[in-house]
Parts: sequence; structure tokens; C-alpha cells
Amino acid sequence: MDWPSFFQSIANGVLIAGLYASVTLGLTLVLGVMGIVNFAHGELVMLGAYSTFWLFTMLGIDPLLSIAITAPLLFLVGIFVYRFTIRPILKDPPLNQLLLTLGLSIFLQNLAMILWKTDSRSVITSYSGMSLHLGMVHVGATRLITFAISVALTAVLIVFLHKMRLGKAMRAVSENNTGSWLVGINVQKTYMLAFGVACALAGVSGSLVSTIMYTYPMVGFKLSLKAFCILILGGLGNISGALLGSLVLGLTESFVGTYVPEGSGWAEGISFFLIIVVLIIKPTGLAGTRRE
Amino acid sequence: MGSSIRWKTTLPLAILCAFLLLFPKLVGSYFLHLAVSGILAMILASSWDILARTGQVSVGQAGLFGIGAYSSALLYQRYALPPVLGMLAGALIATFVSIFLGYLTLRLRGIYFSITTIAFAEALTVIWLMTPDITGGAMGVSTPPLFGGDREKAYYLILAILAAVVAVVWLIEQSRLNFAFTAIRENEDVANVLGINPTKYKVLAFMISAFFTGFAGGFYSHYNTYIIPYEVFNLGVSIACLVMPIFGGLYTIAGPILGTVLIKAIEEYLRVTFSYGHQIAYGLILVLVVLFMPEGLLGLWRGKILPLFRSRPGR
Repeated sequence: MDWPSFFQSIANGVLIAGLYASVTLGLTLVLGVMGIVNFAHGELVMLGAYSTFWLFTMLGIDPLLSIAITAPLLFLVGIFVYRFTIRPILKDPPLNQLLLTLGLSIFLQNLAMILWKTDSRSVITSYSGMSLHLGMVHVGATRLITFAISVALTAVLIVFLHKMRLGKAMRAVSENNTGSWLVGINVQKTYMLAFGVACALAGVSGSLVSTIMYTYPMVGFKLSLKAFCILILGGLGNISGALLGSLVLGLTESFVGTYVPEGSGWAEGISFFLIIVVLIIKPTGLAGTRRE
Repeated sequence: MGSSIRWKTTLPLAILCAFLLLFPKLVGSYFLHLAVSGILAMILASSWDILARTGQVSVGQAGLFGIGAYSSALLYQRYALPPVLGMLAGALIATFVSIFLGYLTLRLRGIYFSITTIAFAEALTVIWLMTPDITGGAMGVSTPPLFGGDREKAYYLILAILAAVVAVVWLIEQSRLNFAFTAIRENEDVANVLGINPTKYKVLAFMISAFFTGFAGGFYSHYNTYIIPYEVFNLGVSIACLVMPIFGGLYTIAGPILGTVLIKAIEEYLRVTFSYGHQIAYGLILVLVVLFMPEGLLGLWRGKILPLFRSRPGR
């Protein structure tokens, strides 16, 4: 057994899982609270990545510091999107919600192509090439930092949902929105803020994406599909499932990339194959779901 | 009275048919090309609509389109199968895949079905790129021009296929299938209780849809002379298939066709204006239709515009 490459695969898988988890968290929040699968979530991540790229290229702002700008920026975008597109269709059948958010996704992808062309862009900082040696494993500095930020983000989200008033309101609404209304929670406002927070999370994920991947108009859609795969693996609308699903996807991609011939090409397809196989075996996702 | 109502529908239809048949004689090569790609899109739109009648919203028609395109092109390249037979073979292979996929996705409802269809088309892209010995890989496959580059013949072929799709949709609407499809779409459990076998009808709708989508793919590969995985399995193809009927009006004969004419016109204008991203119209239209006109253009016409003319007293 070639132990160094085995441990390296584990390290790579876990590190990329952090990024996947940060993308999936926002999707999970909207799904859990509002019952909507937001197809445009990846495109919000893409907007976050482009914002980070331009802040870095034009103003020289470090991609990790720019989180302080992309998160509030995407929060405002989220409030705007919610007010004018999501709110009118909250009571519509799920397929209308799918078509609307899919429409937003296509609109934003193409807007990005018109504004910034289809070139792949990357953010290269002074520490981009650095790596740490931990025993047998090499870990890139940017990957480690993005992983740490993802973990911190998850912790903040969990504390927010369990300890803070607004977070508790979101959980209450996700359990029972009529009951929440009866005890005096403003359901509409909670929806709006949940959507805004999810978009702010997308903004943070976007900043992380720009440091370890290429930024291009379709990057968000690729990440959306991975996030769907994670939701299906981990169960819809709960955070621990999203984290577990991210690990499963990250590790599977990493091991296929290392051990299968031409694996890095096949690894790109893992999320699609997993979606198909898991849904065929269990039509409501591996962990089941509360909602249709 | 009866005969006058008949005249009202048959006369415009006869004029339309005559116009479509004479069209190649009236216009130049550029407009003929636009007509061919427009009719191809109408076939895709109507095929998607047939599947949607059973409540299955596919976002992966590109998978079936690409299978049709590649089957036809590869059969020509390897075995010199004549293009029109190749298109038929592509249609049959796509149908076969749809039976398989249809049975596998049978239990999936709503959004799960849609996500699986996206994954299907994306998975095919990866498989195609990774098996270049069989599929030609990223380099794609090229074929000589269809009918030696005679666009007029290509036009009549694709027009015939459109006529076949319209005929099939018309037959569905006249038959008991229409009730079965509608019942399954409205409520699958109730349909089951009423003695309608959802499995049978859902797979049947998928097969019809796949047959024409696959044929359209085969036609595209020979007409375009060159296909690559990124193009035929592209999300954009799947999106076009669904936006056109939704824009025009779902579950009708005219809706998908009307939607295609308008969207293709907008897209052609944008294609000239922007080098990338002309599908922006598809996204915008999808959002606007869901928000403001859920029954599409036909619904808008029937619900809002026709009454304006009718409800004027004293005229």
C-alpha cells in the first residue's frame, strides 16, 4: 500500500469538502426554512467569486479580506432577489419555484458571460503557491485557509441558528410556519432574512472559490450540481447531513482522482453518477426528508 | 354555422401549409437556414411538452439530443449508414435509453426528477470526454454536409418531422391518452386509484419525447456537419427545450411552436449583438413567465387580450 498517496487523498478530499460544505450550507438554509431548492445558489457563489476577483485585480484587496465586502454585498443582492422574485411565488407549486430559480440561474450565467466573457480567471496571491508539510502530506496554504474558514462559517451558522433570536425564529419557521406566526414571529421577514443570510454565505463561498478554483461564468452551476448531490446524500435541509454529504463527495472525488486511471477526468462526473444512483435506489435521498 | 367555423380554422391552416411548402422558393439561403434551425427547435419544444403533459419536467433533454446526434454521426463514420437512416437509428437509440431512464426514474417526483435529468446529461458529457476511442472525445465527430449541402432538401426533411410531431400531439389530444396524461400530471395517486397505470403512460410519454428529440439530434449532427460533447449535451439545449413551450403555453399544439418563433427571433437578434450569453433571454423569459404569465403567451391571449375585444358593449 502506498500510504503517502492514500493519506494525501484523504487530506485533499477533506479540504475540498470544506468548500463544498460552505456552498451547500446556504442551499440547505433556504431549503430548510422556505422549502425551496434554489437553483441560482451557485450563481450567487459565482457572483461572489467575480466580486472577489475584481476587488483583488482592481483594488488589490486580499481575497480573504474581501469576504467582509462580498458577504454584505451578496446579502443585499439576496434581499433584492427575494423581494422581487421569490416572495411572489412562495405559495406556488414546487415546479414553479424550480423554473423560477432555474431561470435566475440561466440569467445570471449569461449575464456573467456578457459582462466578463467566458475566460477562466484566477486570483494569485503572495501565498498562493505555499504549502505545508504535515508528515507524509502536502497541504496548500490557500486550501487549508479556505477549509478553516468553512469550518468557522459552519460553527457560526450553528451558533446563530441555536442561540440567537433570529436564528431560532428561522428554525421555528422551518418546523411550522403557521405556528410561528401564531406565537408572533414575522414569517415573511424571517424568510427574507434567511434568504439574505444564505446569499451572504454564497458570497463567502465565492471568495473562497476564487482562491482555489478558476472563476468563470459556469463555475456556479458546477458547484450547484455538487451541492445537489450533497443534499441528496445527506438528506434535505439539515446541516449535519450537508457536512456528511460534503465529506462523502469530497473523499470519493479525491480517491477516484488518485486511484482510477485518468481519474481526475472521471472525478468531475462523480457527483452526477452519485445523484443518479442514490435517487434510483432511494427516491427521497439517503437520509430521507421532511418535505416533498 | 358549422361550416363557417370549419372554414375559420381550415383556411388559415391551409394558407400556412402552402406558405411553409413554398418557403424555400421565396427566401435566400440565410433565412432558409434560420427556418431549419427554428423548425428543429420547434420539434424539441413540442417533444418536451409531450413529456411535461405527464408532469415530468425534464432539464436533461440535451442528453437524448446528444445521444441521437452521436448515434447518427458515429454510425455514418463507422458503417457509412445513410444519414436519414442514421437519424432514425439515433431516434430509436434515444427511445431505448428513455425506456431505461424512464423506468429508473419512475418513482421520482417533481424536482428530484428534474435534478436527475440534469445529472444524466452532465454525466454523458463526462463519459463522452473520457472515452475518446469510442466517442471521438473532446475533438468531436464530423460528417459531410447533409444532402451534399442542399438546404432545401434539409428544410423539407425537418418540416416533415415537425409535421409528424404535430400529428402525434394532435392524436394524443384526440385519444384517451390525453386524459391519462392530464390525470397523472394533476395527481398521480388519484390517477392510480382511477385505474390509470402511471408507469405505462409516463414511460410512453418519455419514449415519444425521446424519439423526436433523438431524431432532431441526428438531423442536427448531419446538418451542422460537426458535433462536440460540450455542445450537444449542453445545458443550453435542455433549457431551450423547456423555455420555448413554457413561454408559448404548455400542453397545447400551438404554444411550443409560437414560443419557439418568438424566442428564436429574440435570440438571433442577441446573437448579433453579443458574442456570448445570448441565452440571457431564456433566463429572463423563464422568470417573467413564472411571475406574470403562468399560462404563457396563449394564456395571456385567451385571458387578457381576447376579452378586451369582446367586452365592448354596443360594437
